[in-house]
Amino acid sequence: MLVKELLGHGFKPVTLPDGDRVIDGVYIGDLLSWVMGRAQMDNAWITIMNNVNVIAVASLADTSCVILAEGVELPEDIAKTAEEKEINVLTSSQPIYETAVLLAGLIS
Amino acid sequence: MKELSLNILDVAENSVKAGATLTQILLTEQDGKLKLEIVDDGCGMSEDIVRSVTDPFYTTRTTRKVGMGIPLLKLACEQTGGSLTISSVTQEENPVEHGTHVTATFDMNHIDFTPLGDVSASVLTLIQGHPDTDFLFRHQQGERIVELDTRQLREVLEDVPLNSYDVMEWIGGYLREQYETQPEDSGPNGED
Repeated sequence: MLVKELLGHGFKPVTLPDGDRVIDGVYIGDLLSWVMGRAQMDNAWITIMNNVNVIAVASLADTSCVILAEGVELPEDIAKTAEEKEINVLTSSQPIYETAVLLAGLIS
Repeated sequence: MKELSLNILDVAENSVKAGATLTQILLTEQDGKLKLEIVDDGCGMSEDIVRSVTDPFYTTRTTRKVGMGIPLLKLACEQTGGSLTISSVTQEENPVEHGTHVTATFDMNHIDFTPLGDVSASVLTLIQGHPDTDFLFRHQQGERIVELDTRQLREVLEDVPLNSYDVMEWIGGYLREQYETQPEDSGPNGED
């Protein structure tokens, strides 16, 4: 499944500079140093953290997209950084678990 | 990071890379607040670089695009309501007194405070990896003061390398003994 195909399934785009990236698996976590070492390339990463370090970790781990769950928004200046660094960021109004279940149904 | 001690290790490594002959790791706990200072006499950083090191996309390493030591430390203190400040003097600005001073403050009673973890282990790791540079470690918790100065050890040991097995064993025991023989202050962070 491609990142852009999530749109219209309860996921809203914040930045989508590379919507054609393939989603292969999902990683969930908020402790950034932990995520940095464990998220796999092409994972969709679900988190509630929304500071600039999230964009850096997504870049390092090479995840296909960041999904901000629980209705968390991305501050505008950080969205700008995400766009510059070509990081896809989407939001979900659902809690983390429900977001993951929704995602599981879509990518399986 | 799950423990601040790992973050301290990461930031202190920057000091060694900056050519520091002495790196000080100072922890002061008082009234529920923690002040962490990492002070070195390395080559220092220009104002522009000081501004950019908190940016996670900046790094002195060439192997990856981002350096996360300082950004994660900044996040860790800010999420408790504390703050991070960096001041630096470059070798060009002052050939005699130069270096970098990182200060992070934390509210230890905040729910998002990252536990300090095993700082002694971080200090040992630093000495083991860099036996030819000096470290001053000082951890003050109310009345309790735990201290280690490798310059003093070096004077006594003369030619014995600091990272030899026996010396490392001794340092580990020396730090442990200081923690164990001085009672922990029963303040707002006392065990209850």
